[in-house]
Amino acid sequence: MEKPVVVYEPFRAGLPPMREYMRSLWSRRTFIAEFSRSELREQNYGSVFGQLWLVLNPLLLSGVYFLLIYVIGGSSDSTRFGHLTASLFLFYLIANSLTGGVKAITSGQRLILNTSFPRIMLPISATVIALFKFVPTFIVFGIIHAVIGLPYSWQMLWAVPILLIAMIMALGMAILISCINVYFRDISSMLPYLTRSLLYLSPILYEATSVSDRIRTLEIANPIFYLLDSWSRVVVHAQAPSMNGLIHASVWALFIFLTGTYFFLSRERDFAVRL
Amino acid sequence: MKDLGLTYTTSIDKKPTLKARLKTLGRGKKHTRIVRALNDVSIDVHYGTVLGIIGSNGAGKSSLMRVISGIVPPTQGRVEVYGSVSTLLALGVGFNPSMTGRDNVYLGGLAAGMTREEIDASFDSIAEFSELGESIDAPMRTYSSGMYARLAFSVAAVVEPDILIIDEALSTGDAKFKEKSLNRIKELRTADRALILVSHALATIEDICNEVIWLNMGKLMMRGNPSEVIAAYREFVDARKSASSDEDV
Repeated sequence: MEKPVVVYEPFRAGLPPMREYMRSLWSRRTFIAEFSRSELREQNYGSVFGQLWLVLNPLLLSGVYFLLIYVIGGSSDSTRFGHLTASLFLFYLIANSLTGGVKAITSGQRLILNTSFPRIMLPISATVIALFKFVPTFIVFGIIHAVIGLPYSWQMLWAVPILLIAMIMALGMAILISCINVYFRDISSMLPYLTRSLLYLSPILYEATSVSDRIRTLEIANPIFYLLDSWSRVVVHAQAPSMNGLIHASVWALFIFLTGTYFFLSRERDFAVRL
Repeated sequence: MKDLGLTYTTSIDKKPTLKARLKTLGRGKKHTRIVRALNDVSIDVHYGTVLGIIGSNGAGKSSLMRVISGIVPPTQGRVEVYGSVSTLLALGVGFNPSMTGRDNVYLGGLAAGMTREEIDASFDSIAEFSELGESIDAPMRTYSSGMYARLAFSVAAVVEPDILIIDEALSTGDAKFKEKSLNRIKELRTADRALILVSHALATIEDICNEVIWLNMGKLMMRGNPSEVIAAYREFVDARKSASSDEDV
């Protein structure tokens, strides 16, 4: 028999044959790109500003938060605004990945019930969409950075590994939450509160240095606290990130990604029955 | 002519779920109802076979299709597949109504496992087959349901897998297009390919298939040449019908 043999057997817990899975996932990469593109276009379809909305939305948000800081804090400066926009934009990469991921499986019902493909594609496209949304904001930040005259240095190259960690984190969260939502549909209703809490618990509206030591210790439980802190240090202050911060972020990112993927892969054959 | 197709056995014991139909009960509460969607079904399909599957609603036809194509894992038994499988269980899977017909050809084709180059190569024949003309560049939400189905079938029909599984997808469009799609399926019948066809249109099954199985309540009732199995199935349905009409009296 020259042709490859696929065998389907009763589902037990555990991972599917990984080599085959990865190969099949890789062969579908164009579909992931095309699928994300169409979803993105659908989301912006019908609005006057269309694609521009991708940039306007985070910009308006940072304006609103800047106003909030100004009203509560009484004063503010351009560095503060730079910190706010930079952190908020990265935060939205993760938050969009979560909100897109939570319904990735449950809304892909037709696709799942009628075609056989690696289900993990769906949360992956949610993250790809979040990334598509992030790229224009990153460019906007580049302009803001120049306009308000923030410093530049070689240390800013740290942004690349930090972004990589953020993407692994975002992907892991999308995969994990899409899987959880299959079993507990209420998660999608809870999610807005979760992301909102994450927003306030992370150094976005304030800088990590302005938080008391005790709270900083507690923030170890927040996966993105030190990630956003490192990000702000690098792209706003043009300083090197703290090694502890980087390690904290990487450990969390890998932990979420690996547990999420393990749960997802060991359960995904069950999804078609659960939908 | 390749010699092998697939062997498949399953039955559901005590496991609460093997069916999308359970979805209404599922939802985290009780999983007390057991649906035996398929019960000890064993079949083998060889290349060159066009297998028709008939049976009344809820007989397990779609379950069987889903298990064969690897969408739902069996709870017992084993499926072995030799070759690439393409499923046509529902039309327009993966389509996005806000995109144009052209974009959806790519989307649908990629969803079906084709590569971009393959779609590029067969785009013209897809467009021609669908008879959409200029409308192919209009957003799909502006399509009538007939146009939608035509494009969906056209995309599905260019995929040329070793094993093709079709679930009642033929009943689309007007009579002319129906005949055209039927002809396309006939074209796909070659010695190095296996076709599995689910339909309620018994005449079509009899026309296209060279082998038929009849499922009832998840059990394999009969397997054999089309006219015999269909005759037996008709008799069975008629018998049930007359029994129930007797009750009414």
